[in-house]
Amino acid sequence: MMSTTQTIDLTIDGTNISVPQGTTILKACSQAGITVPSLCHLEGICSNASCGMCVVEVEGAKSLVRSCVQAAAPGMKVHTTSARIMESRRTVIELLLANHPDDCLSCLRNGTCELQSIAELMGVRHRAFPRTKKPALPDRIGWGVMRDNDKCILCGRCVAVCREMQSVSAIDFVGRGVRSHIAPFMDKPLSESACVSCGQCTVVCPTGALTERDETDEVFAALYDPNLTVIVQTAPAIRASLGEALGMPAGSLVTGKMAAALRRLGFAKVFDTQFSADLTIMEEGSELLSRLSNGGTLPMLTSCSPGWISFIETFYPKLLPHLSTCKSPQQMFGSLAKTYWAQKTGTDPSKIVVVSIMPCTAKKFEAKRPEMRDAWAWWKDKGRSDAPYFDVDFALTTRELARMVRRAGIDFTNLPDEQFDNPLGASTGAATIFGTTGGVMEAALRTAYEVAVGKPLPSLELAAVRGFDGIKEATIDVGGTPLRVAVAHTLKNARVILDGIAAGTSPYAFVEIMSCPGGCIGGGGQPVAPTWLKREQRRTAIYTEDRGLPLRKSHENPEVKTLYTEFLGAPLGHVSHELLHTEYALRGV
Amino acid sequence: MSAKTLHDLAARGMATVHPDGPAISVGLGTCGIGNGADVLFDALSDAADSGPILVKKAGCFGFCAEEPLLMLYRPGKPILMFSDAKASKATKFIEAALDDKAYERIAKTARAKISRWDFRTSVLEFGTGFPSVPEWNELAFFKGQEKLVLRDSGLIDPENIEEYIAIGGYSALSKAISGMTPDQVIGEVTTARLRGRGGAGFPTGVKWKLMRQNEAPQKYIICNADEGDPGAYMNRNEIESDPHMLIEGMAIGAYAMGATKGIVYVRAEYPLAVERLTKAIADATAAGLLGDHVLGSGFSFNMEIVTGAGAFVCGEETALIASIEGKAGRPSPRPPFPAQKGYLGMPTNINNVETWCNVPVIVARGAAYFTAIGTEKSPGTKVFSLVGKVKNTGLVELPLGTPLRDIVYGMGEGAGAHKRIKAVQTGGPSGGCIPASEFDVHVDYESLAALGAIMGSGGMVVMDQDNCMVDVARYFVGFTSGESCGKCAPCREGLSQMLRILNDISRGKGTEHDLVELERLSRVIKDSSLCGLGQTASNPVQTTLKYFRDEYERHILEKRCEAGTCESLFTALCENSCPLHMNIPGYIALLNAGRIEDAFELTLRDNPLPGSMGRICHFHCQMRCRRDTLDEPVAQGEIHRYLADTMYKMGREKDVWARLAKERKPATGRSIAIIGSGPAGLSASFYLSRLGHEVTMFDSKPKAGGILRYGIPAYRLPKDMLDKELELWKRLGVKFVFNTTVGKDIAMETLRGQFDAVIIAIGAQSDRHLGVAGEDLAGVHPGYEWLEAFAQGKAAKPGRRALVIGGGNVAIDAARTLFRQDCEVTVAYRRTKADMPANAVELTGAEDEGIRFEFMLQPIEILGEHGHVKAVRFKVMRSGGIDASGRPAPVETDRTVDIPCDDVYVAVGEHVESGYLSKAGIPASRDGRVTADGITGLSTGNVWAIGDAVTGPATAAEAMGLGKRTAKAIDTVLMNRDVFRTLFKDFDHSMCVPPEPTKTAMYRARVVPPEERRGNFQEISLGYTGEQAIAEAARCLRCDIRADALGPWR
Repeated sequence: MMSTTQTIDLTIDGTNISVPQGTTILKACSQAGITVPSLCHLEGICSNASCGMCVVEVEGAKSLVRSCVQAAAPGMKVHTTSARIMESRRTVIELLLANHPDDCLSCLRNGTCELQSIAELMGVRHRAFPRTKKPALPDRIGWGVMRDNDKCILCGRCVAVCREMQSVSAIDFVGRGVRSHIAPFMDKPLSESACVSCGQCTVVCPTGALTERDETDEVFAALYDPNLTVIVQTAPAIRASLGEALGMPAGSLVTGKMAAALRRLGFAKVFDTQFSADLTIMEEGSELLSRLSNGGTLPMLTSCSPGWISFIETFYPKLLPHLSTCKSPQQMFGSLAKTYWAQKTGTDPSKIVVVSIMPCTAKKFEAKRPEMRDAWAWWKDKGRSDAPYFDVDFALTTRELARMVRRAGIDFTNLPDEQFDNPLGASTGAATIFGTTGGVMEAALRTAYEVAVGKPLPSLELAAVRGFDGIKEATIDVGGTPLRVAVAHTLKNARVILDGIAAGTSPYAFVEIMSCPGGCIGGGGQPVAPTWLKREQRRTAIYTEDRGLPLRKSHENPEVKTLYTEFLGAPLGHVSHELLHTEYALRGV
Repeated sequence: MSAKTLHDLAARGMATVHPDGPAISVGLGTCGIGNGADVLFDALSDAADSGPILVKKAGCFGFCAEEPLLMLYRPGKPILMFSDAKASKATKFIEAALDDKAYERIAKTARAKISRWDFRTSVLEFGTGFPSVPEWNELAFFKGQEKLVLRDSGLIDPENIEEYIAIGGYSALSKAISGMTPDQVIGEVTTARLRGRGGAGFPTGVKWKLMRQNEAPQKYIICNADEGDPGAYMNRNEIESDPHMLIEGMAIGAYAMGATKGIVYVRAEYPLAVERLTKAIADATAAGLLGDHVLGSGFSFNMEIVTGAGAFVCGEETALIASIEGKAGRPSPRPPFPAQKGYLGMPTNINNVETWCNVPVIVARGAAYFTAIGTEKSPGTKVFSLVGKVKNTGLVELPLGTPLRDIVYGMGEGAGAHKRIKAVQTGGPSGGCIPASEFDVHVDYESLAALGAIMGSGGMVVMDQDNCMVDVARYFVGFTSGESCGKCAPCREGLSQMLRILNDISRGKGTEHDLVELERLSRVIKDSSLCGLGQTASNPVQTTLKYFRDEYERHILEKRCEAGTCESLFTALCENSCPLHMNIPGYIALLNAGRIEDAFELTLRDNPLPGSMGRICHFHCQMRCRRDTLDEPVAQGEIHRYLADTMYKMGREKDVWARLAKERKPATGRSIAIIGSGPAGLSASFYLSRLGHEVTMFDSKPKAGGILRYGIPAYRLPKDMLDKELELWKRLGVKFVFNTTVGKDIAMETLRGQFDAVIIAIGAQSDRHLGVAGEDLAGVHPGYEWLEAFAQGKAAKPGRRALVIGGGNVAIDAARTLFRQDCEVTVAYRRTKADMPANAVELTGAEDEGIRFEFMLQPIEILGEHGHVKAVRFKVMRSGGIDASGRPAPVETDRTVDIPCDDVYVAVGEHVESGYLSKAGIPASRDGRVTADGITGLSTGNVWAIGDAVTGPATAAEAMGLGKRTAKAIDTVLMNRDVFRTLFKDFDHSMCVPPEPTKTAMYRARVVPPEERRGNFQEISLGYTGEQAIAEAARCLRCDIRADALGPWR
């Protein structure tokens, strides 16, 4: 955080207040206990100053001042309410509503829409202006992110987050005047653009213009179908955010309640993606050691974040050999559920529906990658002739699960804590920390170190790879050999790592990359309107969970061990190769 | 580059700027080329092929209305300027350049001469001679202009750096680099109080200082040449005509601010400007005036041109920078200001073309020279592109602080006598409309802002009565809405809503609430938009609402567009301009179909006096007839006169009248008194009676008709025609109370108490006085009063020599009446014949009859003998500049002339005599006109007022129009109903587009020859024959045939 070098004094609505120099009026107002409304401002990401809601009066200024970009100045006299300000804000919101459809009741963001709540705050009680532009057609072609430009208020947050945070720039403003809209290149569907489905736009969008593809109806239908066995896996980050999505404070850790809720929703088995996260460490750790000892392509890059996979496939296809061939934990789980578990329990694999609860919109896309049908292929080799099915049938976001819980009338806060089912439900603390940036690295090192050196890491918690710095570096002494590693989150930082690799200047052996800010806890499928504070609270929950678990290293996971003995043999073995590893494709746009 | 080489370049340049042999130059700006200057130039080059004559290009001299401009020079003589120079005359000009006699001959046709020219950085004396040819700055267009920025335009070849250097160009740069520190340069600009010419008027010196203070590895200066206002082209011309002036200004600025790179952001639509500037940059670089080590100093400066696709929002600094960076032109919030973080994140200064162009003069001549021009707060000049409804369009450069009136009527010379200038739009879409009533405003930043307009970059669009102000606002909001970058909500959404509302209003779908919303949106968009585009985009709406609110109301409440612009609101321009909104295309179509009775009925329902008005109307319809653009307007009035005459002749009008009487609405029980039975009162009573009201008309005269009976002589309107038409009122049951003067015989209060509504329709019949000595002499007659007395047989026998003073219809009526009394009649008028307000047909009639006219005479004294007039003494006038009436103002000379006479008839206008009404509590203006609502005619309480009593002297048709409108309003108020439109009837008729017209003049009705008119009051015009009427009707172009055609009384 910026150190406060100098403070300045100003008055806001007659009250004196001191703020650090450079503070925006908006922030100063917030410090003074006044919430100035804004629909476009997004701390650290978007200072587009486009919506015009945050106007205040500054004595001596000719027009109203946008408090989100104007810095407070010494002696400034700010007024946050007056007839002039209220007329302006009300008019602006009425203007925005003019070309916004009146379909709040059927909108995915009903209840979480910032436009809706500001309209209510501003006292809008009737439609003041008629439409002046033609309704836009929604883009519902891809798997991850859906766009409905008709609901777009052109605040520009999505453009800013896509460009500034993710360096993807899949979308931008197009056209002038009332014809201006947000669009991918040449107005093509998002799925034909450089979009990597990270979904960061969906968490910052103030309205229902950018959302995940909602698959709750499909999942309910499967749950109510007696012919199907619907099982569920939950990603590590969900336990730190589902409570928040259901009205509990940010950072509430709800592992047990989540398991209970899923069971009440009717899932036949409630499993944990953390199981396959531990498995990932076994495979990926082995792969790293193998690369290190066999002169493989280095640095090796982690492969569990599907937005990141799309990113490298799209922008740096030449660097694909650096990617670990490991599937993500979600996909490892899916292929094992429909092979190992199906076989073990005698369940018809074609009747198994694997639902995953993910903090991520890219996971929806990942689940639908055509190559992700390894279980089906495995059974086919065994002589079955089912119609092709995916390893994972539905990847729901945290938000969708919250919606299902509410729809089912479950009193989430008062649920008892329950356990995951076996055999795909056991996990270690190493798997839990997958949910935050640096977690995969830390988990991998906990195991790899022990495998290579033969004794545990001196300290299990690696401070060097923790925290929200964009790129973190560490050198671990692995039995006398220094191992240089790095951790990057957000694709803008990923780009820095990749540019280094492309330039041949990257000093690392192993790099963890996650698409989203803070890792999965800040994922595109997480509760909307995130702040760094909320991400920090979620992260704390993750680390708390890890610290409280009896087993904290992936190779200690008893069920993973059983899996290897019963089914896989050894890491990187033949079955692993078939079910747990994958190949990547050049994408390009 | 040494001083020597610069000197050599200057010497070479001087040989062509001020050659020692004959030379011809042609203004080759884009506007000149558009008018054929390039063809002229080629023709001259061909013709001059073998001769010892220099044919060269020049920039634009600014007189767009008279392009192409050609300048002919022979040593020792002034430069002769020729306007509208055609290529066909190329050989003549070449011949004149070479041959003395031909030269003398052609000199007589020169538009102006230039004896000496002040280039500001030097002065050249070209020569003397040709006293009869005015100096260039004696022409109205150039009078008062101060060519500071346009100092070289039109005088030098913009593609020749040598000429620029020859007249002192780059001396300021040299002076700055070699003799001044950067701070001194900034100090000079600051002291000069130069303000940004791009529109906002920010002090340039301050801006430069801020930029200078920011240290950075690279600093940029940018010239904004992305002129995007509709109607503005100053910057284009400045670059096209004098590109080095811009380069020099920027180089000085770069030196002062510590920048080494300059970018000119010019719109791609200006190819010639780009071409010339590109060449100029190359030439300046080659000459060592740009590039590394400018003029051998340590200062380096490189320039490049970036062409933009043209976006209005790029006038905003941050958007312009984004555009240069290759991004979409969208503004970003400030701070950071460009001076802190601009192009490529480096400190950047942006100034408009014209700002840069002022810099060399300030540096060369010093700040004091500059501040001596213009006003205290706004020194210097501003270039405007004066366009729209003025005679002289073009680029004008004037000292700031010049009254707007001087620009519109002085340099622009107005819009002519027949069109009334309504407003000027300054500052383009970001500016505002300044109404004619505010033309005394001094053109400077603050004064214009006080009126709600802005100086802007200098567009100045003049608008007249044919421009609808709602449409003007709609146009500009359409522009800004389309050019809004779409980023910020108030601008994007607000302008789009504003445009929708304005579209609705102009289509007759507006509501009164729309005006409330327009005002709210204007306030909010102005107050909360992110950049200048949005913050100023409301200005056209706010100013038109402020100054022309009545036009909005008329569109909304009456669904009418008086200017005839909003096509959804009328059937055809003739209908729209008719104060009675007669369905002219309708009766013409019916006549064409041989349906005379239907045609008559259609006219009668719109105009209850079709025979009378067909004779004496001002024919507003003809003034907007589209046929006029082909040959002559259609004689719409003559046609309805024919219809009425024919029906009356056959006695068939009775059937129609019976129909009207029969369909009279059931008695309402409401009674209405109308004071005055002139055209206004008759029209109101016709409709009110048909609506079922009991109408009583009071008149001080013994018979009905007012001015129609007592003002207009019988040779124009036979009284039996009037009597015939008045029979209809009896059938409708209108009561008349004659010989009764309200205020004398019956009190106003009594009427107000006895009747549900009282309409004042007393007209404007009190003659104005001359206010000169001798007006009380016997034999001096007020014109209108005399006409009335004559019509009643009360006038004494006039003396032989009659002198009529005035130029309006009353004057001509008096003159022609006197002619019929065997007088020798002279009419004296203070302006020219062309400026007479009388109907043209009356004027020619009078001339045919041998009435003598004396023009440019202003009476100063009436001379008498034994108490009786014997002569009138006049001051002889001459034509001065154009006044607010659009005519040359008569200006006194020192000569006087006496015209002897036996009687004088003073017909210099009439006014409303409303003293007794004021006493009765009826509001009136100082000149006596009764105050009434512009749309309903409501004056106060249950009193309404119509006709000349409200408007002052106007036409009979206008008076009837007001009567009609008020009848509707009164019925609505008294009965709370909306049935007025049921008084009209649609007749189905042909809606086929007529065949392609061929040129055919208007058919003229037969007239009694002048020699048969003396001594009698027989009607002069005999009206159309049937064949003529049908032939004339066939001339109608049927503008009413449109997909969205509507009837006038929907």
